[in-house]
Amino acid sequence: MGREAILNSIKKNKPELVNLPNIDIQLFDEEIDLVETFKNNVQLVGGSVAELNQINNLDAEIKKLYPKAKNIVTHLPESNLGTVSITNETSPHLLKDIDLTIIKGEFGISENGAVWISEDQFPIRVLPFITNDLVILLQKESLCLHMYNAYKKIYDRKRTFGLFISGPSKTADIEQCLVIGAQGAMNLTVILV
Amino acid sequence: MKVGLFIPCYINQLYPNVGIATLELLEKLNVDVYYPSNQTCCGQPLGNSGYENDAKGACQLFVENFKEYDYVVGPSGSCVHHIIEHFDVIPQTKKVKKIRNNTFELCEFIIKVLGKRIEGASFPHKVGLHKSCHGLRGLKLGSCSEKVEPYFSIEEELLNEVDGLELMSLNRKDECCGFGGTFSVFEEAISVKMGKDKIQDHLDNGVEVITGADHSCLMHLEGLINRNEQPIKVMHIAEILNNSL
Amino acid sequence: MSHSKNADIFNRNEAKVNWHDKALWFVREKRDVAAHKVKGWEHLRDYASAIKANVLSNLDNYLVEFETNALKNGIKIHWASNAEEHNTIVHQILQKHNAKNIVKSKSMLTEECHLNPYLEAQGIEVVDTDLGEYIVQIAKETPSHIVLPAIHKTKEEVDELFQEHLGTTPSNGNPEYLTNEARKHLRNKFLNADAAITGVNFAVADTGGFVVCTNEGNADMGAHLAKVHIACMGIEKIIPNEEHLGIFLRLLARSATGQPITTYSSHFNKPIEGNEMHIVIVDNGRTEQLSREDFRSSLHCIRCGACMNTCPIYRRSGGHSYDATIPGPIGSILSPGKDLKKHSSLPFASTLCGSCSNVCPIKINIHEQLYKWRQIVVKDVKQPFTKKVILKTTGWLMAKPKLFNLLGRSGRFMLKYAPRFMVYSKLNTWGNARELPKVENQNFNQWYKKRNKNG
Repeated sequence: MGREAILNSIKKNKPELVNLPNIDIQLFDEEIDLVETFKNNVQLVGGSVAELNQINNLDAEIKKLYPKAKNIVTHLPESNLGTVSITNETSPHLLKDIDLTIIKGEFGISENGAVWISEDQFPIRVLPFITNDLVILLQKESLCLHMYNAYKKIYDRKRTFGLFISGPSKTADIEQCLVIGAQGAMNLTVILV
Repeated sequence: MKVGLFIPCYINQLYPNVGIATLELLEKLNVDVYYPSNQTCCGQPLGNSGYENDAKGACQLFVENFKEYDYVVGPSGSCVHHIIEHFDVIPQTKKVKKIRNNTFELCEFIIKVLGKRIEGASFPHKVGLHKSCHGLRGLKLGSCSEKVEPYFSIEEELLNEVDGLELMSLNRKDECCGFGGTFSVFEEAISVKMGKDKIQDHLDNGVEVITGADHSCLMHLEGLINRNEQPIKVMHIAEILNNSL
Repeated sequence: MSHSKNADIFNRNEAKVNWHDKALWFVREKRDVAAHKVKGWEHLRDYASAIKANVLSNLDNYLVEFETNALKNGIKIHWASNAEEHNTIVHQILQKHNAKNIVKSKSMLTEECHLNPYLEAQGIEVVDTDLGEYIVQIAKETPSHIVLPAIHKTKEEVDELFQEHLGTTPSNGNPEYLTNEARKHLRNKFLNADAAITGVNFAVADTGGFVVCTNEGNADMGAHLAKVHIACMGIEKIIPNEEHLGIFLRLLARSATGQPITTYSSHFNKPIEGNEMHIVIVDNGRTEQLSREDFRSSLHCIRCGACMNTCPIYRRSGGHSYDATIPGPIGSILSPGKDLKKHSSLPFASTLCGSCSNVCPIKINIHEQLYKWRQIVVKDVKQPFTKKVILKTTGWLMAKPKLFNLLGRSGRFMLKYAPRFMVYSKLNTWGNARELPKVENQNFNQWYKKRNKNG
């Protein structure tokens, strides 16, 4: 039973070794407008995009988009809107009433409107999920074409926890009707700068 | 080039006109056609039911009947597919391999081997093409909607050469009709439902005649059409192509 | 009950069949649109297939590599040969932490092991937090689809369930209202959970980490709030290198629902400081399937459900007709390996149309495996006597041209001249809903002979 039995059974039953394929990445290359495609895909997955010319306008833009937000967590120096301060010692359960979270995204992926965020960008893992609304600040130059590119970009990271996040939480489990806002964030805005 | 004409057993007994149309069409295209009269069945009904070992005799008889010819041509995508894919159940002699490599469905043979056009055929009707699954996905008589590949359809190529024929578009381009051989009897409820839905798609799109390269599918649809007295007909593609040629 | 009997019952409500069929066809169409947007889609499938073939041929080494790397990062690893061991291991972890309230995100493996009833019998509350799974849980049913568990439920049915279990007000099945009520209820569960159980979409050998993909965020809400996170995986979930996710994550959501990617693709490598993270690696018949040359590639499956959405039989019979944890085409090649007799009708619940194999992102040759399973069922499971005799006799006759032709001519004669009541008797299943073909005066053989005689 257990480990030895499983490994022995595999050794006995596995087929002859088949080599891994060589992946020719050029097969997937395309000349497309990364920013436009990214924006379209964020909207396709139920998110919103705002573009900023100047980073100084960040807080003004966010206040415009989320005027009612009271309990705000910011985890980036570019914003002063934070009303709740957290550290990596904060109990995750205390975050249940957070209205708005503002974090930085490391980079985005055009083909699916996803952004990579990790514990470098938010100190408590549950934060981007438990918050009601989520804003991600993202540099336009950070965009790459597709997921295979993305994994090259995160290859050298410290591996603890990270995720690709694409739009707000959603479900279509009730008769295939798409509902934006399931268990995670109810909406997501990517602010491109 | 000597071509052995393969007439599937159910066509022989129930739809001889399809066999006749196939023979006449090939002869009009100047093909030297022979009909081995000792042929029986390719064995597909047994194979699909799980009894492929019991069809070995049928497979071997087939090979014996057709071993003399350069090509074997038959008006049935599923039977031809069975020969190519499932004759691996008998020892792979040179004869057997030759048969498996040189058996063609009719439309495929005309386009790929003969490279000929259909000239002078006329069929002024609204036609719906049923892309039978074994022909489509098995023999690759056309591109299929699941895959990301350039569009092509051998049957459409031929139908487009027929005067007056209007090819109608369907809502579901290549969904199965529900015949599936013994499936039609052992999973009757679903088989009938799939057939009904398929016929409705054709009716909804103004089709007068449903055609295809597999009369087993057409037989199933015709059975439903006739029972339900629906205003639509079926006709094998060989009959349309041979029509007034 | 056999699939055909269940399907027969399902088809008595034609309106429901139409509704179910259209809902899933819609998902198939969305998948087509998404696939056609990807440059090199078919190459992605080729690579995915080749990577998984490599995985199976080196599975033991990858699992050990995975374990080593995961342990280095503070993840605890457990191995379970079968469902019982899996359930016991999970229970023991929970017991150690005195965990009484558990939240669980989607894991077909835990369905397969019947984990919920096992834990509930031990006095542990398990709440399935994926909305679709939550719906079937309170309905006391099993999921009918591996990605869309409640696809068989109308919104009115969901409305009634929520009225009963959540005290919602009648809303005619308003999806926004019902989803929001579920959100509130499940949020409470997340905040009070002692432990979270999740599945594993991909386990990465070279990093010892794993990925969980959801649209709702329920896996993360569970895993990051509870002190203990248990992730359950079948041995075949392994992929060699993290970069390979760049292939699989481009295929998974597009194949499943037509989205370019799920909302959350969460990469777990280390537990939260002070928390525990466990992975239970499960065999439960997978190494046996590995031994079957014709069927081992069914282990390549990444559980996208595309085959179910495209299958014309699945759409018109519903997942429950298969009476297997994993239904549909992939279920029909996996399940016979586990219990050939119980699932002997599944390989026949198909016309072998091949659509499933074409939508499969990993290019599993599902329809060819269905054909092969049929030969094994006939060999190893007792067949109905009459059917066996008829088919075997037909096979014998097929090798004897004169007799076969005689049979053909007699059949024609019967069809042509026997009275209708005899032809369309109860024995003639075809005749229930279809007319038999009209019989011509001569068959092809006779016509050809005549033509030759006339020159």
